[in-house]
Parts: sequence; C-alpha cells; structure tokens
Amino acid sequence: MTEKITINPVTRISGFLEIEAEIANNLVVNAQTKGMMFRGFEKMLLGRNPFDAVYFTQRICGICSTAHSMASTLALENAMNFVPTEQGRYLRDIIHGCEFLQNHLRHFYQYTIPDFVKLPEEYPLFKVDHMDYRLPKKLNDKIAKDYFDSLDFSRRAHQMLAILGGKAPHNHGIFIGGITSQATIDKIISLKSILSEIQTFINEIMIPDVYEIANYYSEYYHIGKGYGNLLSYGCFYNYKDLGTLYVNPLVYANNTISVFNPDDITQDNEYAFFDYKNDPDIQKQHAYSWVKAPRYNNVPFEVGPLARQWLSGEYRHGISVMDRTIARVLEAGKIASVLKILIDNLIPGVSVQKEYVVPEKSSGRGLVDTTRGALGHWVYIDDGKISFYQIITPSAWNLSTQTGNMKGTAEQAIIGAPVSNISSPVEIGRIIRSFDPCVSCATHVYTGGELINSIQVV
Amino acid sequence: MDTPDLQCPYQESRLKTTSSLVNQAKSNITNGILKKRNLVWLELNGCSGNIISLLNGQDPDFQYLITQMTNFIYSNSLIAAEGTAAIDQLFSVIGSDYILAVEGAVSLKDNGAYNIIGRNNGKLVTGLEAVKKLGTSASYVIAVGACATHGGVSAARPNPTHCVGIQSVLQRKVIKLPGCPCHPDWFMGTLAYTLLYGESPLDNRDRPLMFYSTTIHERCPRRSYFDRGIFASKLGEETCMFKIGCRGPVTPIDCPVRQWNGHVNWPIGDDSPCIGCAQFGFPDAMEPFISYDTTREG
Repeated sequence: MTEKITINPVTRISGFLEIEAEIANNLVVNAQTKGMMFRGFEKMLLGRNPFDAVYFTQRICGICSTAHSMASTLALENAMNFVPTEQGRYLRDIIHGCEFLQNHLRHFYQYTIPDFVKLPEEYPLFKVDHMDYRLPKKLNDKIAKDYFDSLDFSRRAHQMLAILGGKAPHNHGIFIGGITSQATIDKIISLKSILSEIQTFINEIMIPDVYEIANYYSEYYHIGKGYGNLLSYGCFYNYKDLGTLYVNPLVYANNTISVFNPDDITQDNEYAFFDYKNDPDIQKQHAYSWVKAPRYNNVPFEVGPLARQWLSGEYRHGISVMDRTIARVLEAGKIASVLKILIDNLIPGVSVQKEYVVPEKSSGRGLVDTTRGALGHWVYIDDGKISFYQIITPSAWNLSTQTGNMKGTAEQAIIGAPVSNISSPVEIGRIIRSFDPCVSCATHVYTGGELINSIQVV
Repeated sequence: MDTPDLQCPYQESRLKTTSSLVNQAKSNITNGILKKRNLVWLELNGCSGNIISLLNGQDPDFQYLITQMTNFIYSNSLIAAEGTAAIDQLFSVIGSDYILAVEGAVSLKDNGAYNIIGRNNGKLVTGLEAVKKLGTSASYVIAVGACATHGGVSAARPNPTHCVGIQSVLQRKVIKLPGCPCHPDWFMGTLAYTLLYGESPLDNRDRPLMFYSTTIHERCPRRSYFDRGIFASKLGEETCMFKIGCRGPVTPIDCPVRQWNGHVNWPIGDDSPCIGCAQFGFPDAMEPFISYDTTREG
C-alpha cells in the first residue's frame, strides 16, 4: 500500500519548502520538492541602473547575499569588457570566502546538527519531533555545546567579511574592479587573527564532530545518492600568479570528469508555476513548485560542496547524505586555507576603483561557484539600463522540478530512501538538508519570455 | 510609561544602550521581577537575512536571547521540529502572552498564495494569514527589516507579488525597525526595552528613538569633508560621498556610531555610499545606489 506524506514547512533551511513523498513498504517511491515562495527579482531589475544590480540582487538571499554580489559583478564586468586586477580579485574572493565560512558553520551547526543531536529541550526551539538520537549522552552534550560555541565563529566569519565589505549580510564591498575600499595593514592583521581562530575551531571541533556523527549514522553513506551528476562553475581558480587554489569549472557524469561548457545550460519550466511566456501562473495544471528546472546537456546535476570536493579531487569517498555533509565541513577547512593564501598575497594601499561607465548596449554573464554551488547571472543592457536579467541559483539546480519523467536532483535523491516511521519521516529531512537548500534564492526567477540558451553572450 | 523628555536623543541613547538594557532585563528576570516572555519570529516573503543578522548579535548574543531573555518559540530557520510539529508550536502561542517579531513582506496577490509558510491541519497557510492571526493577539508586534516595515525590496517596482509592510494588514501598533538587514542591536535593544518598560519611545512613524533619532549625515565622521566641500568622485575615496549619491542625509539611523558586525565597519567606512536601507522608501526611492557625480552638468 502506498501512503502519501507531506512535510511543510521543511525547517532549518533558508526560505519555504514542502516535500511530498509516496511511501510503500517503508521506502520512498515518489517525491516532489516544492518551492513555496516567489518574489520576481528578474522583473524588478528591468529598467534599473546596471550598477545597482550588485547591491540589489544581494537581497535575494540573506544567508548567501555575497554570492549574488559576486555573480552580478562578474556579469557586469563581462558586459563592460573589463578585466579586474589580480589584487581586485584577491580582495573580493576573500570577502566571498568569508561567506563560505559563515554559511558552512551555520549550516552544519544550526541547520544540520539538530537532525542528529538532541539540544537542551528546556528551550522551546529545541523540542524534538522524532526519537532517532543515537549519540551517547556525553558526546551528544559535547556537540550540543559546540552548537552554541560555533555561533561565535560564524559571527566572526561575518566580521571578517565586514572588515573588507562594510557590513554583512548585504555587503557594500564587492563591486566592479574588486572591492570599494583598500586593504590596509591593520585590516590585514585583523583578518589573519580572526581567520586563525576560525581555522582552529574548524580543524579541532567541527571536523571531529562530523565524523562522530557519521560513526553513529553510517547508513547515511548509502542514502540519498540521486543521479550522481556533479557540476561546478569553478571558484578561487585561475589566478595569474597563484593558479587554481580550489576548483576549476568541471562536470562529472557517467564516471567521467570533463570541462564545463556554459553553452550547455538550459532551463525548463514544465512543472513550475510559469506559463509559456514565463509569467507566473499559479493555476497552471500539473505545476507544483516555484523552482524551475536547470539542466546541463539536458540532465539534472548536483551542485555544492560535495561536487566541488569531488571535482577538485579533495574528497571522493562517495555521493550520499553523509558524504555531502562531510564534504561541506571539509570544505570549510579548505576555504580557510585558501583565504590564508589570498590574505598573504594582499598588497596594502592599492586602490582598485575607477569611474566606470555603463555601456549603452551590451550583455554579459557571471558564473561562479558559491557556498551552495553553481550560481549564474545573465544581464542585457539597453539604452544604459537593464533590459533583461536572469539568475539561476545553486538551489534551483538541486531543488529543480521534473522535466518529462526525469525527477529533479533532490527528488531523485529522496526516492528509494527508507522511512522507518511514516509519522516521523526524519530520513527525508536529513536528505534534503544535506543539499543546504536556499529557497529564497531558488524561487525568485522570472525570465520575461526568454530561455537561457537563447542568450548570446559577448 | 510617561512620555519621556526627548529633547536630547544622545542622552537617551547613552542611558539606554542595548547592553545596559539587556543586563537590566536579565537581572530583573533572575530576581523574579520579570517573567520570561514568549517570542515568536515569523519569516514572510523576504530573504531571511534578518534572522541571519540576529545570529550576528553580540552582547547579547543569540544564545543569551533564547536561554536568558525569552522563551523563543519559533523561527523557520532555526526550530528543531519540522512539518506539523513545527507549525503546531507556532500557533500554540495564541491565547498566551507573546511578542511577535516579523521579517519579510506580506504578499497580497492572489490572497497570499505567493508565500506559503507551512500547512496547518493539511491546509496551506499563507504569510498573510499567519501574520494576521499571530499579529492580532500578540502583546507587541515588531517589524524587523525593510520588507516587514514597508515592503522593502520584496515590494520593489513593479512589485510582482503585491508585497506590503505588515502594518498594512494589521490594525494595531507595529514597532518598526527598518534596515536591510536590521542590525541585531536595534532588535535586541528594542526587545529589551519592551521587556523592561513596555513600548519604547517611538517617532511619528513608530521607529524607536534610541536608534532612529538622528540622520547618518548629522553624525558622519566624514562630515568635515562635506562642510569644506571636499567630495569623492568615485567609490573608494575617503572623503564625502554626497555627490555620488550618499543617502546619509535622509536616513535617520545610528550606523556612524554603532557600525556593523562587532562594530568593525559600515558602508561609508568601506568607501561606498549609504544606500538608505534603514529609511522608508528603500529601495526604489533610494536609487540609483551607484552614480558618479550626481551634481555634474550635462
């Protein structure tokens, strides 16, 4: 007998998500991930000053705002045929790296840990709704303490971000050319000092914590694989003097790694609430989500820390819930070491700002891997104003809706998973959180009638 | 409380800083003078950046907020429970004494269908329905961040999902903390004041005077450049950014003295103009954010 269950809200994510799953003989036989919010950023951006996209698009997401400042800046630089200096790149990549640290610390401790560790139940926020807690009390309480101790380090990661970026969330630093301000000796030494504390926490607390959890929940190495297709647009890569510090633009499918080609991206809206003109259509038959369906070579791909760790060769243990979670934690350590190199290569007192001119007519794209995976912004400029803007977020890849009979990435990962207690399907929440969903990012899209593969980029 | 003497906002802010208020609230709770009150954090149509900003709070921090200051009942981003258990916990506060903090805008289009925050007894709950239900019976309602105070970026033209601030759907006093995001101190201080003394003194648009009394321009460390007519012509210069569109002159907020993220920096300190994120009208009335010499002829 097949039973249908619905989880809504899926909490401890950014934004609103519902999961509907059909379960037979304690296995998930069908699943839908449904983005439950829509704002329409791409429509809002039309007619605005192109430079304003850098600060405006950050408001898509409160936990990964810096990601959008990166992609919009890259798209504008592309449209302007402008190449930033290496110092400019280092500076903005440092800001971006700080956001990785903030995100990974918070996603692991505040969003993931409550799935596996019982937090002090005298506080209403931590009342539990399942019984699958397996850690011995002493270890459980140690990691519960780390939940609170981590708050200091995620806050400090944002503090590093603000030292160069003015404030966080929604930084003012990243802009065309690199960042607005200059590196100074006092800022550099502040960054180094904070980074060293965060690095110690990651290496001595966070990494051991994830392996402790993995020991007690080892079946999650075999749950939630999905298609196993991995994609990255690359990040912290291709510096003139430093080479690639992390990962190049690559894809992994059918046991083969190949070079990523941006022209092979398409986006479909067959099961998303958009009509044939790509206008929102809440009445659309069969539609079930505000998230569209990005595809690469017409198939769904997983993006995020595991994809990057795999493609860069840092971690290739497997593709599963636990591997995704471990890869995220290990990546925090990797990013900290990349940041150290970039900070060590800063030259104090170099201004990277100029008086930039908006092109009358142009187009550009900005593709970069951000905390949750591959993020792309595409911009058209006409008469000095934004005439078209398209954003495909990492969570749009991971939470994509189905096309034809082909399920989205996370949907496929949920199908086949065991659910031991149908009234408390804790397994499904653990699978979806391993992707670190950001629905506020995934569901703002509004393409104004154009498919992404029709864009010609200069 | 009685109407306070508000002639000098500096005096007010010195006496009632966030940390002194919070310490007072804590000691009163410890000594049994005050009872811990329930706090509900409701996310609506927005970016969830205000709860992230709240996690950046320091003295008091988030741990202190949920363990010492309040019974923190609900946050979609942080609650351990999910699905039915979570939504039941959210609505369980109705009938009790609670303070409601809301971030995100209320989407009105198609009766709220563009922002679903959960299911209650199988039925979809819109943000519109949730804020009306919880907002009506709350002891205090605090709108946290630009989207909740006046629609913010969620309501930017052409406002595809007809977003409005929460005041538009609530017939009651809403304390407003505009900002994108709201600084953790603005929220913690307002909350601490509420716990200790009730509603904090507000301006004519319901913003707490202890944070929103004075424009950035009045206290800007670059004010002397303005007075001497020394203006930046591009980002990255350490002078007055009035001519490249700085909104400090129209934005009443304490960023110049408080600064961000452990008080280390702020947008003007980062050689970029204030974009007026803490003023009503943000973003549309504050654009363009980036321009090069707005006073240049031709």
